[in-house]
Amino acid sequence: MVPLSWYLALSAALFTIGVAGVLVQRNVISIFMCIELMLNSVNLTLIAFSRFLNQSTGQLFVFIVMAVAAAEAAVGLAIIISVFRNRETLSVDEESLLKL
Amino acid sequence: MQFSNLNLDYFSILPEIITAVAGVLLMLIDAFAKKGGRKIGPIFSIVSLVATGVAIVALWPRANSTSFAGMIVNDHLRLYFALVVVVCSIIATLMASQFLDDEALPPGEFYALMMFATTGMLMMASAGDLVMVFLGLETSSIATYVMAGYRRTDLRANESSLKYFLLGSFSAAFLLYGMALTYGATGTTNIEAIRQVLMAGKVIYPQMLLVGGAMMLVGFGFKIATAPFHLWTPDVYEGAPTLVTAILATGPKVAVFASFLRVFAEGFGAPNAPDVGGQLHDNWIQALAIMAAIGMTFGNIVALAQRNMKRMLAYSSIAHGGYTLIGFLTTEYAPVGFYMLTYALMSLGAFAIVQMLARQGDAKTEISDYAGIGFEVPNLSFALALFMLGMAGIPPTAGFMGKFYVFKSAWASSPNLRWLVIIAIVNSIISVYYYLYPIVVMFFRPQAEGFIKPRLTAMAQVALDITIIGTLYFGLFPNSALRILQQKAPAAQQIAIQK
Repeated sequence: MVPLSWYLALSAALFTIGVAGVLVQRNVISIFMCIELMLNSVNLTLIAFSRFLNQSTGQLFVFIVMAVAAAEAAVGLAIIISVFRNRETLSVDEESLLKL
Repeated sequence: MQFSNLNLDYFSILPEIITAVAGVLLMLIDAFAKKGGRKIGPIFSIVSLVATGVAIVALWPRANSTSFAGMIVNDHLRLYFALVVVVCSIIATLMASQFLDDEALPPGEFYALMMFATTGMLMMASAGDLVMVFLGLETSSIATYVMAGYRRTDLRANESSLKYFLLGSFSAAFLLYGMALTYGATGTTNIEAIRQVLMAGKVIYPQMLLVGGAMMLVGFGFKIATAPFHLWTPDVYEGAPTLVTAILATGPKVAVFASFLRVFAEGFGAPNAPDVGGQLHDNWIQALAIMAAIGMTFGNIVALAQRNMKRMLAYSSIAHGGYTLIGFLTTEYAPVGFYMLTYALMSLGAFAIVQMLARQGDAKTEISDYAGIGFEVPNLSFALALFMLGMAGIPPTAGFMGKFYVFKSAWASSPNLRWLVIIAIVNSIISVYYYLYPIVVMFFRPQAEGFIKPRLTAMAQVALDITIIGTLYFGLFPNSALRILQQKAPAAQQIAIQK
């Protein structure tokens, strides 16, 4: 059987790729995809733990995370569309009306 | 697990049920009613929120019980914070009619979103399980993402909404990863069970628990907008419509503090636990102390340089988050609860006035726009002066009592917190400068050209009155709230040990 640490290493790697993507990417859609990647890497962690602890809690948690991620995607894409309608660009570098 | 063990006690989630159903009904009313029918939106929301408040009070005698297999904890922390959340929502809903009129925005969805956000906040207060914490947090966040961008054609509102959404989901992912690691390390997602695992020293993967705790701290830190995770706050607060800023700065913050207390002060509150449990406790206490110190100092110093009222209030809210964290470090909920109540009242009041003076599209939110209006609109300017003095912590306002109580509890609870209290007092003195500045501008500067007296709706006037009376009442009679907070605290701890 594949040991637990492999699953955890994979999901940690995916999570890190997601974080790096959010920080590096300039397109809103790409940033959003990276956030989804982060959420899904967490799902992998939960499933792996659930399997190795012989519990169903982790799997139930994954269902709830998936439902929340779907709702978040719907709202997020709607926000992105309304930004695009007003600006005709999706680059975060252009989002600079409000400055520190 | 047997069904009988689940303890499906629907009465214990009645507050959440009322707000959720009211939200759905509001959307249906908006879809099917004729033009005139939509007028009942605000009244319907207020009635349901008052009913929610009654439901919370009715749950008081049944305090210290759990239901839904430990998912819902009905203790005094939950009841108190739920009540504060409902009060915030009522005030915000009263203010909303004015905002929606002024901006000529469609009213229906706004009230529905407000109810959904309230549902999420109530869930956060009642969560006894990490799953519920996450679900409540996201329910309230998703509704507030939409509200931040409610003025759809305004570029600033768009940008604010987008930033809030991206950084909010980014931080939620951190929180979630922290939860997953904590689950793996302890083998449970129930917060009370986590504490028992820590106390028994039965943590399966100690390192993972420490990483999980740190990631949850980052996630919560983002949501309560404390330094160094505050960078989104000023932009989002400035760009969002002022009413939504008022909501973001109060309700969700109160609710996140409730969850934060539940997870860290209760779940990870195992100071004498063997091995990793005790280490985790020491680590998060240290990390929070540093966050509190940075938050207060940074928030106050940057606020000094602000010339926009909303940005100034945003930085001030970061500083107030720092003060609240000092109360948090006593690991009791009474200081946090009382501070959040006083802060929420003053903050809602201040934002209400900013909104009334702002005109359409939040055009007039610079402090210089307030020049010389002191005796033009005395009702607004004196109220704003009261809230500014309150936030600066000057008696006899609630702000003074909140600060006093937090500092006193922290000073008494541990000598390790005394340096923080001293930093906080120095910070309060610095903050007086920028809180007094709008007052000076309002009363002692020549009047700005083109000032038009705002027109107050009856409901907005009521909202303003509630915040003014609350600010004075809890400043003069703090015991009314403190009695509820203090006498119950030991009972809540007892039940935790019993289980």
